[in-house]
Amino acid sequence: MKPVYAAAAPVETIKKTKKRWDIIVPLLFIAPWIIGFLAFTLGPLLYSLFISFFDWPIVGEAKFIGLDNYKTMFTEDPLFWESLGVTVKFAALFVPLNIITALFLAILLNQKVKGYSFFRTFFYLPSVISGVALAMIWAWVYNGEYGILNYFLSLIGVKGPDWLNDPNWALIAMVIASLWGQGTMMLIFLAGLKAIPGELYEAASIDGANKIQQFFKITIPMLTPTILFNLITTIISAFQQLTLALVLTGGGPLKSTYFYAMYVYENAFKYFKMGYSSANAWFMFVIVLVLTLIVFKSSSAWVYYEGEVKNK
Amino acid sequence: MRKWLTTLLVLILVIALAACSDNESSSGSDQTAKDSKGKTTLRFATWDSGEALKIQEEIAKKFEEKNSNVKVQVEAYGDGFDQKLAASFGAKNPPDVMYMWNFPAYFQSLEPLDNFVKSDPEMDMDDFYQGLFNYSSMYGKVYGMPAGFTTRVVYYNKDLFDAAGVPYPKDGWTWDDFKAAAKKLSDPAKKQYGFGVRPEPDTYDLQGFVWSNGSSFISEDGKKINGYMNSPETIESIKIFGDMVKDKSAVLVGGKNQQSGDDIFKAGKLAMWESGIWPLEGFKEAKVNFGTVEMPAFKGKPVKGVIASSAVSVAKDSKNKKLAWEFVKFYSSAEAIKMRTADLPVRISVVKEMKTEQDPLISPFYKMLERSNDTPAFLLNKNWDEINRNLSAAINAVMLGQDADKLMDKAVKDSEKYVGQ
Amino acid sequence: MKTKRRIEKSTIYILLIFFSLLFLAPFFWMLSTSVKSPEELYLFPPKWIPSTFEWSNFKEAWMSQPFNQFFMNTVIVTGMSTIGQLLSSSLVAYGFARFKFKGRDFLFIVLLSSMMIPWEVTMIPQYMEFNYLGWINTLKPLFVPSWFGAPFYIFLMRQFIMSIPKELDEAARMDGANPFQIYYKIYLPLMKPSLILVAVFNILTCWNDYLGPLVFLNDQSKYTLTLGLAQFKGMFGVDMEGIMAVTFLISIPPLILFFFAQRYIVEDNSRSGVKG
Repeated sequence: MKPVYAAAAPVETIKKTKKRWDIIVPLLFIAPWIIGFLAFTLGPLLYSLFISFFDWPIVGEAKFIGLDNYKTMFTEDPLFWESLGVTVKFAALFVPLNIITALFLAILLNQKVKGYSFFRTFFYLPSVISGVALAMIWAWVYNGEYGILNYFLSLIGVKGPDWLNDPNWALIAMVIASLWGQGTMMLIFLAGLKAIPGELYEAASIDGANKIQQFFKITIPMLTPTILFNLITTIISAFQQLTLALVLTGGGPLKSTYFYAMYVYENAFKYFKMGYSSANAWFMFVIVLVLTLIVFKSSSAWVYYEGEVKNK
Repeated sequence: MRKWLTTLLVLILVIALAACSDNESSSGSDQTAKDSKGKTTLRFATWDSGEALKIQEEIAKKFEEKNSNVKVQVEAYGDGFDQKLAASFGAKNPPDVMYMWNFPAYFQSLEPLDNFVKSDPEMDMDDFYQGLFNYSSMYGKVYGMPAGFTTRVVYYNKDLFDAAGVPYPKDGWTWDDFKAAAKKLSDPAKKQYGFGVRPEPDTYDLQGFVWSNGSSFISEDGKKINGYMNSPETIESIKIFGDMVKDKSAVLVGGKNQQSGDDIFKAGKLAMWESGIWPLEGFKEAKVNFGTVEMPAFKGKPVKGVIASSAVSVAKDSKNKKLAWEFVKFYSSAEAIKMRTADLPVRISVVKEMKTEQDPLISPFYKMLERSNDTPAFLLNKNWDEINRNLSAAINAVMLGQDADKLMDKAVKDSEKYVGQ
Repeated sequence: MKTKRRIEKSTIYILLIFFSLLFLAPFFWMLSTSVKSPEELYLFPPKWIPSTFEWSNFKEAWMSQPFNQFFMNTVIVTGMSTIGQLLSSSLVAYGFARFKFKGRDFLFIVLLSSMMIPWEVTMIPQYMEFNYLGWINTLKPLFVPSWFGAPFYIFLMRQFIMSIPKELDEAARMDGANPFQIYYKIYLPLMKPSLILVAVFNILTCWNDYLGPLVFLNDQSKYTLTLGLAQFKGMFGVDMEGIMAVTFLISIPPLILFFFAQRYIVEDNSRSGVKG
C-alpha cells in the first residue's frame, strides 16, 4: 500500500500528508485524556474560576462582586497569609525530607537480602491504612500524657513535648506523620532503581569507582526522571495537604497546622463561602503552577532521559 | 501467571458490567423519586452513626409500615454531613428531610414549617419543651421540629473520688468546690487528673459557663461584643481551665479524633469530665463507676446551661414537601421519640410517661434544661461565624495558658468590623 | 574484606528490621485494639497483648452493616477504574513521551495543572454535571473518569517511557510497524513494572477513596467500604473498636495483592533482557 501511494502522489502531497499524520497520530494517542479533560475536568475548573467572582453562600443565590474576593483575601484576611505561611513552611520541610527518606528506604529495599518480599510489604503497610484509623493511630502515638511516642522517649529519659498541643511541635508532628505514609514515592524510586542497567555498575566498579562514587555518578543521574516526577508531585501534594490536619488537629494549636488547603476547605464547607473559597484555590493554583513551571523548565538542565540522548 | 491475570481481569469486567446494567435500571428512579414498584422514595439524611443510626432506620421502617406506598431512604453522612449537604444543596438535589442544627447557615434553603403546623390539627406544639424552638427558628419562623437534645453536665468517676476520700459533688456546688476537688484528685505521677480540658473547645459549649458568671459573648440585641466577649466575668469563666492545666489539676485532652476526654475518662485517668449525653452509654459499656451532677455555680450567681439540640427539617427544593412533612411529624411524634434512646426525649408527655427524669444519671440533664433559657450567640448575629473564628483562636490560646485579657481584647478588636453588618 | 561485607550486610538487616517494626507497630496496635474487651481499650500504659482475645469483635463489626455488599461495590469500582486507567494512561503517556508535536509541552503543562486545583472547589460543579447526566447515586462517577487517564499516572509512565532507549522503536519502524504496533508490541511489555505500579496505586486509591463515594452516593446499597467504615463515626461519637476492626479487615486484600504484585514492579528484566 505504502509504496504505491508514494509513487502516485507528488512529493509535496506526501510531505503534507506526512506532516498532518505527524500531528494526528500523537493526538490519537493522547485523545483519551483530552476527551476526559474536556468532559469532566475543564467544565468544573472554569466554573470554579467563574464563581470566584461571586459571593455564593451555596445555599441561596450567587451575587456578582467582581474582584472583591481577591481583594479581601490579599488585604483584609489575616488568616489567608497565616495559612499560606503554614503551608509554605510545611512544604519547605516536607518536600526535601520526603524525597530523601523515600529514596533512602527504596535503596534499603533494593539490597539483595533474604525475605525482601516481606520487607517491601512491611514498608508499604502504612500507605494502605487510611482515614479515621490513621488519625486514631497518630493520636495514640502523639498524645502528650498517654501517647506511645512519649512513653518510649521516657524510657530513655527524655520528656517529650505534648506534640499536638504544642504550637512549636505540631507542624513537625504533621511532617513526621506525612513522611511515615510515603510508600508511593518509595515504590516509584524502587522501580526507578531497578530499571538502572546492572552493566553500568559493573563497568564502574571495574574502573575502580567506590560505592559512594557510583551512587553520585550512576544512581542519581539515572534516577533523575524519577526524581523530577517525585519532586513535582510532592510539591503539588504538599500544597494540598489537608487530611491529617483536618482529622487530627483541626488546624491548631494556635493555627500552627492551619494549612492553606484547610483554609480553602473551611471557607467552603464550614463558612459556606464558595466564591471566596474558589478565589483562594485559584491563588494556590497560580503559586503551584509557577513552582512547577520553574522545576519543569529547569529539568532540561539536570534530568537525564536515556531515550533523548542523541550521541551515545 | 499471565493466564491467571487475564482470567481475573475478565472476571472483574463481567461482574462490573453486570453491576453497571443493574445500575442503569435503577439510576433514573432517584431523580423522579419513584421506583419501579410505584413507591415514592423519600430521602432522609442524618449525621448519626452506630446505635443511634439503627434506631433512626427503625423509625423509618415504622413510617413505611404506616405508609405502604413510601420508601424512606436513610442516608447516613456521618462526619461528612456538612460537605455532602453543601454539595447537594449547591446542585439543587438535596435530601427531602434532614437532620439540622445550624439553622443560621442553612435556613434559606429550608422550608418554613409554620403553615404545616397550623393546618394540622393533630400537631400539639405545647407538648414540646418550648425552649427547644428557640434553636430551630429564624426570624420568627419555625424551620425544624425538635427531635432530640442534650444539655451538659459533669461526669465524675466514683472510684477515684472514693480512693481520694473526696465526697461526691452535689447539685448546687460551686467552681471553688470543683477546683478544690480537682486538685485533690490529681496525681500527675499516676497520670491521673481531676479534670480534662479541651484545648480547642467549641465556643458554643462554653457559653453555659459564661452565662453562669452573669456575662455573655455578645449583647442580647446581637449588636455589641465589646464589654461582653472581653468582660472580666467572661474572662474569669474561661481562665479557670487554663489555670487548672497550669497547676496540674487538669490535663489537656485531644480534639475530636485525638485521644479524647471520653477515652481518658473511660481509662479511669480523669476524675471529672464535662459533656453532653453522648458518651453516657459508652461509659456504662466500659464499666466505669460514674455519676452525673449539675454544672458548678459561680458564688452567688445562678447556674446556666446551654442546649445542643437537633431538629428535623424539610428542604425547600424537595419535590415531596407534603410527604416530607408527614415524615417530620411522625419523627417528632411520641411514638418515634420513645424509640430514641441515644439522646433525651423532647416531649414532656414522653418524659412523664417513661419517668426519664427519675433516672439519677439523667436527672441532672433535665435540671440543666430548666436553666437553659439564654439565647446562644450564633442565633443573635448573622456574622457570628466570622466573629467566632477570632474568638476560638483566642480561647485556644487561653487554654494553652496565654494571657487571657490581652487575647480577648484582641479578638474583640479583630471582630468589631463584623458586628455591625 | 569479608568482615567489612558482613558488617555491611548486618547493618542493612538491622535497618530493615528497625523500619519494619516502626511500620508494623501501628498495625499491630490496630489488631490488638480490635480484639480487646472494652475495659482494656484505654489502659495506660497500653496493653500490647490483650488478656482475652475477643475475636468475635471482627464478626460483630463486619455484620453490623451490609459490609459484604459494600465489599462487592468497592471491588466493582476498583476493578472498572483500574482497567480503564491502565489502558488510557499508558496510551496517553506514550503519546506525550514519544512524539514531538506542536503544543505538546503546553498540553502537558495543562495536564499537570489539572492536578493542582483542590477538589473542594470543583466538587460542586462536578456534582452538578453528574447530576445532569443522572449518575448521582450510581457507581459511575467513581470509575468512568478514570477511563480517560489520570494526570498522576500519565506523568509517571511518561517518565518511565522517556528513559527507554529510542533505538528500539526506530528498529521496529524500519520493519514497517506503525506507531500503534510499536506501542502495543514493544512498549507495553516493557512497561510492565510501571503498569503494575499504576495498578497498585490506583487500586489503593479507589479502595480507600472516601470523599468521592460520600458525595456521589446516597443509597446504602451502593456504598463502598470506606463509607461503611465512616458509619462508625458520627458527629458526636466514635466506635473505636469497630473502626479498627473493619480498617484491619479491609486493608488485608490490598496488602495481599501488593505482596504478589511487588516482585513485578521491581523485576530486573526491564531493559537488559530486551536489548539484544
